[in-house]
Amino acid sequence: MKIESSLLIDELQALTEKSSGQVQKFKSLTDVQLNFKPNPQAWSILECIEHLNLYGDYYLPEIERQILAAVGKPASPVFKTGWLGNYFAGLMQVQDGKMKRMKSPKDKVPSHSELSRTTIDRFLKQQELLKSLLQQSKAVDLQRTKTAISLTKLLRLRLGDTFRFFIYHIERHVLQAERISKKQGVL
Amino acid sequence: MTHTPSFAQQLIASIHEISQPKTLSKGEFLLREGDVERNFYWIETGAVRVFYLSEYEEQVVRFGYAGSLITSLSSFITAQPSEFYIAALRKTTLHVVSKPQLMERVHANQESLQQYVVLLENLLTQQIDREMDLLITSPSERLRRVLQRSPLLFQEIPLKYIANYLRMKPETLSRIRNS
Repeated sequence: MKIESSLLIDELQALTEKSSGQVQKFKSLTDVQLNFKPNPQAWSILECIEHLNLYGDYYLPEIERQILAAVGKPASPVFKTGWLGNYFAGLMQVQDGKMKRMKSPKDKVPSHSELSRTTIDRFLKQQELLKSLLQQSKAVDLQRTKTAISLTKLLRLRLGDTFRFFIYHIERHVLQAERISKKQGVL
Repeated sequence: MTHTPSFAQQLIASIHEISQPKTLSKGEFLLREGDVERNFYWIETGAVRVFYLSEYEEQVVRFGYAGSLITSLSSFITAQPSEFYIAALRKTTLHVVSKPQLMERVHANQESLQQYVVLLENLLTQQIDREMDLLITSPSERLRRVLQRSPLLFQEIPLKYIANYLRMKPETLSRIRNS
């Protein structure tokens, strides 16, 4: 896939805004609604969001580091996805409201004991940082700037692909959380 | 963590006349980031933590337990939204004194005004102590200073929150405590 860099960033900004807006709405729910599990194996709304926070804990500092290191080098007006980065991003992406089920890595499964309403506040703070990083990334090369990934140390992805993977992953779990709220007949 | 000079003692003695009692269950919030702090609290039983939330973690800046006066101070003074949360560490009963009620007490006479100044001076000194804590690199020295100020800390506050307050890992705190 080939896309104008600025177009990609604008799309990702819009998606990030949308996810923030949806999670903002969860603030009006009660603790019981936020902790409700549709079935014993399923996650609650707060668990979905904490799962995203755990990804943010890894990716946001990494993205921030790589952008800082790349500032000053020439940016490119066009971004071409890498085959692997495109594959990962595609796995995460919601297509017509449908998403492939998958298992999360153990270290990214939220532990229930730590969850409270600050989970939502923390997510929204991470989203603000993400928006700022997207803005900053306009000055760097989305293709030549590489970031580490949480799955393996052997691979690095193009910044543009990391953003796509990370932000589609957020979209996926925010949708999951919305479905849990709909199951309870709220929002 | 608060020393109680005489204005505070008087305030506490008369607190039942001017305050509303309030009970928090474990984990419940007294104040959230973005709220404006309109009260002072005197803790009767239990414990609370005042903390700041970043993108990545919660950072405790202050504790309150039985006998402490606590508030989100800068928000209380400026009436701007609080940067801090206040949450109960266990079941906590406290007395809520609103800012107008407190100010009425403070301005009742010259003496109470002077004593209020002493109370604020105490809080200021504690803030500077805290700033010093954070500048000191040795973890054991940091712990020693805090225990000098608050000898009951370990009786009142779970270890993981003390570690967070001291900006060290719980394992580090355990280790220096046992050495």
